[in-house]
Amino acid sequence: MNVSILAGATTKFGELWSASPRRMVREVVDLVRAQSGLSLAKIDGIFVGNMLSSSLGNQDHLGAFFAEELGLNVPAVKVEAACASVGMAVHLAFLSVLSGRYKNVLVIGIEKMTDFKPETVNNALMGAGSDPEREAGATFPALYALIARAHMEKYGTREMEMAQVSVKNHYHASLNSHAQFTRLITLEDVLKSPLVASPLKILDCSPLTDGAAALILSSANDKKGVSFVASAVATDTLGLSQRQDLTSLKAARLASRQAYTQAKVTPNDIDVAEVHDCFTIAEIIAMEDLGFFKKGEAAAAIFAKKTWLGSGRPVVNTSGGLKAAGHPVGATGVKQVVEIFNQLTAKAGKKQVKNARIGLTHNVGGSGATCVIHILKRN
Amino acid sequence: MLSPVKIWRNQKKIRSLLNKNGEILSFTKVYVPPAGFEAQAPYVVAVAKLDDKTRIIAQLVEWEDQDLKIGKKVHTILRRTKDPGIEGIIPYGIKLKPLD
Repeated sequence: MNVSILAGATTKFGELWSASPRRMVREVVDLVRAQSGLSLAKIDGIFVGNMLSSSLGNQDHLGAFFAEELGLNVPAVKVEAACASVGMAVHLAFLSVLSGRYKNVLVIGIEKMTDFKPETVNNALMGAGSDPEREAGATFPALYALIARAHMEKYGTREMEMAQVSVKNHYHASLNSHAQFTRLITLEDVLKSPLVASPLKILDCSPLTDGAAALILSSANDKKGVSFVASAVATDTLGLSQRQDLTSLKAARLASRQAYTQAKVTPNDIDVAEVHDCFTIAEIIAMEDLGFFKKGEAAAAIFAKKTWLGSGRPVVNTSGGLKAAGHPVGATGVKQVVEIFNQLTAKAGKKQVKNARIGLTHNVGGSGATCVIHILKRN
Repeated sequence: MLSPVKIWRNQKKIRSLLNKNGEILSFTKVYVPPAGFEAQAPYVVAVAKLDDKTRIIAQLVEWEDQDLKIGKKVHTILRRTKDPGIEGIIPYGIKLKPLD
């Protein structure tokens, strides 16, 4: 069975105080409906990716909530896996089409974060961590700072190399009309920005963002379209301290190896990738876990612009990544797939990677307790 | 949310981690805290490996600048962890103290 993507769209990402979750979802669903030419009556099921509707928005039962908004009575369910919620929703939607039971499935990713105080949001996000992490007063920047410090110690990774990840992703976002931050920044801007959790500074961190994104997955055979050639998930310990190695995410290594096997490709075949750069160190580690560079060599490669648009392969985070396109946690995983879909159908505009044929997405939950990998191919 | 029952249940685990030696595997100084930790910031959070191979995450207390390094020997102690909140129960937990 071939599972293809009929359409994909996102809202503008940012501080969307005037937009409600209902309106944001309505906007992206209208876009994918128009793009695919498919009537909503043909949708067999809805998978909603979201993390914080319960802890921040006081709204559970999100499947029915959005089915009501769309005037549908089909099965609808919220999928939660922290920041990998909607990557997991895409995985389950993929399996539902693969099973033959559903023909056309709608995946929605949505998060509303900027309505609340940052301390409140930080607290809610730590729902993705472990009890001892919360008791220690750790935040997600703190957990990734612990990873960064260990990586610096083991491989000599420098703060300037981490900063370069932000500089690149802001450059890519400057070409993306839907990104939260479209201004260019310099290494010095990053290095001089205030500390959040040492050694990570505010410009090493992805922002709080409102945003929604949607995809339609289908068993319809579209000869000119884009198909999934892999969908793989792995999990690891919830808490960071339980892991033997702080400098790599085991879930990402396991899921990507599985995905390469499913797709019968190697890391060298990937033209374009959207990876989970919630913090700059996370993109460096992702490059190593995904097999694009050897352990300890990714930071220097990124610094030498080997993953920048127009100067290397694979081109990484053409959307601007989580850092600059924004990180509405429950929408990020589907935004990544939308970006790869646009790249493979040559609709990525100014950020188009020439002749992109195979693309990969890497969506991470928590400090690496869940990792979802998708590989897409132009038919 | 801090439930008194959950605090009571978790406190049974504390004893097994108390009065142990270990070393720092990584650390960070947190400048932007979550709710309930505002009064303590900035504070240091560390991952440590205890001599019995248990790995824990906890705050480091009574540190000086020269203690902030990977490999620093530490000792586990009992300390208040965060604000009591509306329940009024003072939560205790494990923290790390540098060894000379």
